Amino acid sequence: MPSAKTLLVVIPAMPLLAAALTAVLGPRLLRTRSHWPTVLGVAFSFAASLLLLFQVHQQVRAEKNATFPSVTLWQWVDVDSSRLAAARTAALVESTAEAGAPPAAKQGTFSINVALQADPLTCVMLAVVTCISLLVAIYSIGYMRGDRGYWRFFSYIPLFVFSMTMLVSASNFLLLYVFWELVGLCSYLLIGFWYQRPAAAAAGKKAFLVNRIGDFGFALGVFLLWTTYGTLNYEDLFGPHHLPYAREALGTAICLLLLAGACGKSAQFPLHVWLPDAMEGPSPVSALIHAATMVTAGVYLVARCLPMFREAPGVLHVVAIIGGGTALLGAIIAVTQTDLKRILAYSTISHLGYMFLALGTGTLLGAVAGMFHLVTHAFFKSLLFLAAGSVMHAMGGVIDIRRFSGLRRRMPITHWTFLFGGLSMAGVIPFAGFFSKDAILLSLAECSGGLIYQTLYWTTFGGIVLIVLYTFRPYFIAFFGPEKIPKEAGDHAHESPRVMTWTLVILAFVAFSVGMVLEWNHVLSDFLAATPSWTTLPLPPAPEVLAKEHLAIALQSSAAVLITLACTAALYLGTRRVIVARLTGLLKLVGIYQLSFGKFFFDQIYWLFIILPAEGFAALCAWADNHVIDGLVNLCGAVPRWFGAALRPLQGGLIQFYALSMAIGLLIMLFLLLL
Amino acid sequence: MSILLLTSIFLPLAGAILLPARRERARGVALLTALLTLALAVVLVGCYPGGTAPFAKTDYTWLAGSGVPLDVRFSVALDGLSIWLYALTALLTVVAVLISWEAIAEQAPLFYRLLLILETGMLGVFTAQDLFLFYVFFEFTLIPLFFLIGIWGSEERRYAAMKFFLFTLAGSMLTFLGLLAIMLWDFYHPIGTPAPWKMTFSIPELTTRYAARPMDPAMQMWIFLALFVGFAVKVPLVPLHTWLPLAHVQAPAAGSIDLAGVLLKIGAYGFARFSIPLLPAAAAAAMPWILILSVAGILYGALVALAQSDIKKLIAYSSVSHMGFCMAGLFSANRLGIEGGTLQLLSHGLATGGLFALVGMIYERYHTRKIADLGGLARRLPVLGFFMAVMTLSSIGLPGTSGFVGEFLILIGLFQRGWAETLPPDALLRTLSVLAVLGVVLGAWYMLWLYQRVFFGPVREPQGQSHREGDSPIFPDHASMVPEKSGQSPQPPVRDLNLREILALAPLAVLIIWIGVYPRFFLDRLAPTMNQLTAGMRQAETRLERTKDEIRMTKECRISKCRMPEDSTDPRFPPPRPFRHSSFDILSSFGFRPLSFAKPQAAFSPLIPHPSSP
Repeated sequence: MPSAKTLLVVIPAMPLLAAALTAVLGPRLLRTRSHWPTVLGVAFSFAASLLLLFQVHQQVRAEKNATFPSVTLWQWVDVDSSRLAAARTAALVESTAEAGAPPAAKQGTFSINVALQADPLTCVMLAVVTCISLLVAIYSIGYMRGDRGYWRFFSYIPLFVFSMTMLVSASNFLLLYVFWELVGLCSYLLIGFWYQRPAAAAAGKKAFLVNRIGDFGFALGVFLLWTTYGTLNYEDLFGPHHLPYAREALGTAICLLLLAGACGKSAQFPLHVWLPDAMEGPSPVSALIHAATMVTAGVYLVARCLPMFREAPGVLHVVAIIGGGTALLGAIIAVTQTDLKRILAYSTISHLGYMFLALGTGTLLGAVAGMFHLVTHAFFKSLLFLAAGSVMHAMGGVIDIRRFSGLRRRMPITHWTFLFGGLSMAGVIPFAGFFSKDAILLSLAECSGGLIYQTLYWTTFGGIVLIVLYTFRPYFIAFFGPEKIPKEAGDHAHESPRVMTWTLVILAFVAFSVGMVLEWNHVLSDFLAATPSWTTLPLPPAPEVLAKEHLAIALQSSAAVLITLACTAALYLGTRRVIVARLTGLLKLVGIYQLSFGKFFFDQIYWLFIILPAEGFAALCAWADNHVIDGLVNLCGAVPRWFGAALRPLQGGLIQFYALSMAIGLLIMLFLLLL
Repeated sequence: MSILLLTSIFLPLAGAILLPARRERARGVALLTALLTLALAVVLVGCYPGGTAPFAKTDYTWLAGSGVPLDVRFSVALDGLSIWLYALTALLTVVAVLISWEAIAEQAPLFYRLLLILETGMLGVFTAQDLFLFYVFFEFTLIPLFFLIGIWGSEERRYAAMKFFLFTLAGSMLTFLGLLAIMLWDFYHPIGTPAPWKMTFSIPELTTRYAARPMDPAMQMWIFLALFVGFAVKVPLVPLHTWLPLAHVQAPAAGSIDLAGVLLKIGAYGFARFSIPLLPAAAAAAMPWILILSVAGILYGALVALAQSDIKKLIAYSSVSHMGFCMAGLFSANRLGIEGGTLQLLSHGLATGGLFALVGMIYERYHTRKIADLGGLARRLPVLGFFMAVMTLSSIGLPGTSGFVGEFLILIGLFQRGWAETLPPDALLRTLSVLAVLGVVLGAWYMLWLYQRVFFGPVREPQGQSHREGDSPIFPDHASMVPEKSGQSPQPPVRDLNLREILALAPLAVLIIWIGVYPRFFLDRLAPTMNQLTAGMRQAETRLERTKDEIRMTKECRISKCRMPEDSTDPRFPPPRPFRHSSFDILSSFGFRPLSFAKPQAAFSPLIPHPSSP
């Protein structure tokens, strides 16, 4: 059995190798076989991830405070940046200690290793990422067949898997930041995969730039971490003997800045605007990057830094409120959209909000619930996206749910798998979403944070109703009713090829069962609780108390879900469209409908208040550069010329004038001598 | 080793002289010369042992009269700072020759001659160990580039060449005075017994002597300002940058590459080689001001770039922004920032040199540089699109490329300086460090906008896009360019990069990735030298900080009527000398100081021979 260290290196190395192979051999040699390196490489790293998970799990079960495997590849930078005399450092330490900040005395060498580590949190992320990547890669064989950029697609995908696995197994903030940006690059490349479409190219750029704004915060956060703690290693910051955290404004600032990065990557309010546009990318990309893995990087970051967030006053409330608010916002928008993939995108935003919300409780229960939801969401949401992709594949690229209906007979497998995904997302017992959603509700109910968490609990509860509505509205419209197929699909609209449907079936099975498996005997929560950085989190109450509460919540939420499901079915099945129209009219009167349909006009607001002023200012600067600054320069150049022009008449070439001036000069000199 | 260095400096000059008169042969010989030079440079980099000792040193007496105390030496060597810029020059010249292969049709031999002469000049600037020699090479770089722009440039080439020349020359006149003053002050303030009676121009010697016996601060400030004018024009720092976009836009691609890749670095090199080590107190005092200018340059350059419609102009303004980063790093008075700034010099040379080469290739194919005329080139020219992506990503500082390493180190250095090392929160430094990070966001904005417009979307190319041999470098008439759909073009489609062009770009891309993934190789070799060069400034800066602290503490104590804390007795930092100025009232400091070289204790007058001489 290979050692954990080897596995840790193999997991990212195989996809990287696959990416390089495909990029080099793809265009000439592999062509339509370009998927083989990717599928094999990712399969290998999935197997390695499972092995690693198994090993670390054994370790956790064997000893209480296990030291988890870590491996250093090479030293990236090593600069001795100490500048201060010892006395000054001492004074600095003294003064910062008064302000409640940790000692900055360690600030000696800026030494960054390319080092990987595997604690339970990382292992879970690795397993999810590689599993979904593998399934999506297999699905893409069918989906991308015949595309001009087939090899290009299959060199970007393993590049992404490499970056994502490195991101979750990085052991310091710099490495995290590096791969944080690299997954952003892969996202940019894959959103703009069909770059000839202006919308796709613009969406890619938008995603990159909005993420850059988040990363602006993230980078500031990392810099402040360095200036405050003098280290960027997780070991020093979150390990068992971590440095004392900065508490005052500085601590809050660091956490909020890191949160800004997380909000950008995980599409949380107010940086959520890029995710719906990112649906311009191919559907497998939406499933892999923009639903299951990359967008959860923000959740991972918050989960990683949770102890630090706890110590900084007010930060957890911000996390919870952003999460809860985004969850509601996404759900409200999703209800009225007509583009199937955009509905799913807004639901992703909403579900990521739930993960933030759970982490925002700051308890072990909440942290585990957030990660649990991350896992189940990854499976059911990628299933839904892939099923939507299958629909899109058959409909000739049309994804507007108003233009097709009654597909369940033409595409039975897609229909059934979509239904499984929908039931799981809606949280119907015993599908996976049910368990993770209840875990979040439970963690909120158990959180003793006061009124804010109470409010958020009920908001979440209300959100559940919306989830059911926005999941099953498109389901009923698309798969039921009279058969209607857009003309783009031609007359051969049919079920997708077997390589796609089989992946859907596998995912459907996982989306059905993963909740039960992980909830069984609290496997996941016990495992995650061993994460070194989480050992300081407040523990949940005794299991007996918890079980009672859990049952009550499960009953309440299940009732809500089933009633809403019945109502939705009643509204959208059959000929009761009149009632829908009436309801819509009512909502339009209030104005909610327009807000929801217009996505709360965030794009327009940003255009008006950020892009337009910035571009105007840029134009002004360009004008000033041309006219004011360069004008001044030209003025400086012109002064000698004017001076010359003023003196030029003296040299007229007229002999008489020279003689006259000579005479006058002589006279003046004589006069001066005589004086 | 020293013979290799000497050969590599003068090989291009020899090549230029011996260049055959026919175009085909001329370019072949030029390429061969540039490649040989590069090979020598690679060998030297490979053999460079690190540390601070000068490497591959050659030292001859050059101008030394028997009666006059002049001691000008022909002295060249490499150290951790110069070796990278030296190697970059050798590399970029090869790139410049390769991309001019087809583009330059008229008077090609003369073109390659000038290019090779320029290379000798640039190599000389970075290796000179003597003030006089440095200045000779410094001015020497101007003339070939003046002709390169003036003869082979675009439609406004004469104006651009003249502006470039006058602007730089005017600046460098003052720099010359400053360099002379450095030498003279040293001459009139001898140390050691018996004092050596000679006007030494040797840079290492001057550096050690000034470290042992610094100039008085007011004098330093005057000389610093004189040097500043010339170097700041070269960098360029912000209000002095207007020659740059003009020169870039009008220059032929090879000229732009050398201009952006190497000539801008001479300014920063000048600061690192002269201003900072020789005038540490002034550099420390001027630090906030230069940081303000640099950060202003970062943001201003980025904003102006955002509003450009010409690809070359956009990249030219991005250079202003990136050079702002370099200067901010050099003057951050923090080792992280300084090393980052130096690395960024290299990284900018690679990425921006590559970008200008790519723009040249686009221009060669379409005879336009207007962003609006082009679109969807990634489909038409995938290989070009790939290289453009690599250079763009490095330019916006994506991790894994060289741009990230430089920018990250600079920013973290600025942060450490502004947030961790100032006892009273220094609001100015803190604001500057945050604003500099904003430059990274803007950088992504304009570069991605450019890439999206030119390479993505439906294919859009101007008419007459096929390559025309022997075309005059005059711009084709814009009125005749009607955008057209792909596939309808009557001309044969534009070809993608050929092997020659790929070979020109590949080394740049490889180096960009190398620096991004394993920067230690480069940092380890430049760190000792940079550390030595900036040690004086960093100490002076710390001392300045301490003075400010003490002033503040005295004030506070006076207010609270408490006892003054006793001064710490750290042997490394003697109690501060009474500084007449802090960083914020420079002007008052030298307004009252008579500008004179003579000091009362000097027992001899300049025109009487020194007693120790026969």
